[in-house]
Amino acid sequence: MSDFAIEARGLSAGYAGKTVVHSVDLKLKTGEILLMVGHNGAGKTTSVRAICGLLPVTGGSVHKGARDITNATPASNVGAGLAFVPQGHGVFGSLTVMQNIVLGAFVERDAAKQEERIETVFELFPILKERQKQIAGTMSGGQQQMLAIGMAMMHGPDVLILDEPSIGLAPKFVERVMQSITAINARFGTSILMVEQNLKYAIPVAQRAVVMKTGSIIFDGDPNELTDKVKLMELF
Amino acid sequence: MDLLLQLMMNGLVNGSHYALLGIGFGLIFATTKLVHFAYGPIYAATAYVCWYSFMQLGLPFWAAFGLCVIAAIVLGLLSYLIVYRPLQSRSDSGLVTLIASLGLYTVIENLLGVIFGTGVKSVQGIDSDVFFLGPVFVTSFQLMQIAALILVGGALALFLRFTRYGQAIMAMTDNAEMAQIVGIDTRFVALLVFAIGSAIAAVPAVLILLKDSAGTHMGFSAVFLAFLSVVVGGIGSLRGAVAGGFLIGFVESAGLWQISTDWQSSIAFIILFLMLMLRPDGLFGVKR
Repeated sequence: MSDFAIEARGLSAGYAGKTVVHSVDLKLKTGEILLMVGHNGAGKTTSVRAICGLLPVTGGSVHKGARDITNATPASNVGAGLAFVPQGHGVFGSLTVMQNIVLGAFVERDAAKQEERIETVFELFPILKERQKQIAGTMSGGQQQMLAIGMAMMHGPDVLILDEPSIGLAPKFVERVMQSITAINARFGTSILMVEQNLKYAIPVAQRAVVMKTGSIIFDGDPNELTDKVKLMELF
Repeated sequence: MDLLLQLMMNGLVNGSHYALLGIGFGLIFATTKLVHFAYGPIYAATAYVCWYSFMQLGLPFWAAFGLCVIAAIVLGLLSYLIVYRPLQSRSDSGLVTLIASLGLYTVIENLLGVIFGTGVKSVQGIDSDVFFLGPVFVTSFQLMQIAALILVGGALALFLRFTRYGQAIMAMTDNAEMAQIVGIDTRFVALLVFAIGSAIAAVPAVLILLKDSAGTHMGFSAVFLAFLSVVVGGIGSLRGAVAGGFLIGFVESAGLWQISTDWQSSIAFIILFLMLMLRPDGLFGVKR
C-alpha cells in the first residue's frame, strides 16, 4: 500500500490554454487531513479540479495510491474512491434531499451498501433525515453543504477533497462542517484534502498544511505555524 | 358554442402533438443544453422512412414504424457524435453548436429532397374513422395523437422517476458538473437523451404522415413549436413541455374563433412574447 492517498508530481493545469498551476508537487498522506490555503487566484481550485478529472492535466501526473489517474474521467475517479465536494453548494438544487443522497451513490450498485451508507449519512447529519423530502435548493447554505458532504460519502470514498467548504456559511455552520470533517476522518480513516480560506476554523482540524502562491506551493508543514500572523503575511 | 367546443377539441389534439414534440426536443435541450434545431428535419426524415418502408417496400405498417424509430435514433446519435460532441469539446460557446445545428438542419432537409424527391408523400390504405361526441367530431388519427402523448409522456415520466439512468438524466439537467462529480458518465447520458428524444420524434411524425402527409419542410414548424412548448412550459420540466404544448394548442384554436386563420402561426409567437415578458422561466421552469 502506498504511503500517499494522492500524489501529484509536477502537476500543471489551467483554463483555455493558459497555465494557472505550474509543476506542483502535492502529496496527501493516507489517513491525514491536509489543509491547502492561498490567496484568490493562487491555483488551489485549479489544482484540485485537475486532480479530480474536472480539468485537463497539461503536465505531470496524478496518482491515487499506486494507480495513475492522470486525466482519468471524473466518473472513473469516483469509481476508484475519490470524492469531491466543489466550491459553493455541490447539490442538485431542484431535486429532493433523498434524491441527492441516492445520486451520491450512483456508482454503488449494491442496494444493501447504499442503505447502510444512507444511515451513516443520517448519523453524521441528522438534519438531512428530517429534511429528506425537501427540495435541496430551498435549504439553508449550511444544510446544503452538509448534504454535499453527505453525498460525497455515499460512494464510500477513501479520499475526500473539499473546495472551500465554509464559504458563505454562518460561523455555527462552519463549526458543524469542520466537526463533520474530523468525524469522517476519525471514523472511516478517509484521507482528506481541504482547500480553505477560513483559517480560524480550518487550522485546528488539519494535521498538515500547504500554502499556494501564484500556481506553486511555497509552504508545506505544521498548520499551527500559520497562526503566526507575521509568518502568514510573509507567505501571502 | 358548437364551434367553440370543436375548436377546443382541435386545441386538445394539436396541443397533444406540440406537447409530444416538446418533450422529445426538451429532453435533449434541458439535459445537454444543445438547441438541436436539426430535430425538425430528423422528425421529417422519420416520416419519410415510414412512408418509404410502407408504401414502396410494402412492409407491414408496424414494421415500417419500427424502422422509422430506429432511423430517428440513428440520426439523433449521429448528430450528437459527429457534429455536437466534437464542437462541444473544442468550445464552451453555445453559439457554435447553435450555428452547427442550423447547418445540420439544412443538410438533412436537402438530403431528404435528394433521396425522396420534394413532392408531398402520403399513405394510402390506412383510413381514419370519424367519431361524434355530441356536436364535436374527432378522427381516429386525432385520438391516436392524444393517446400517444399519454403513453409516451407517461412512460418517460416513469423512466425519469424510477430508473437509475432516469435519475441520471434529472441530475444532469439540474447540474451537469455535479452529475460528473457523483460519477455519472455525462457523455453516455447525452447519447441516451439523443436516442430517447429522437425516438419520441418518430411518433408524432408518423401520426402526421397518417393524418395529413409528409413534406421535406415539415420539420420547420415541428421544431419551432417544440421549442416554443419548452420555453413556454419551462426548460427542464416534462410537465412544463406538456403544459406549454397544450397552452399553445388551445390558444391557437381559440384564436381562430374570432381571428383569421392567416394569423394562426403568429398566435404562438404572441404567447412566447407574453411568456418571456411575464414569466421568463416558463410555467414550470426552475429558477437558476
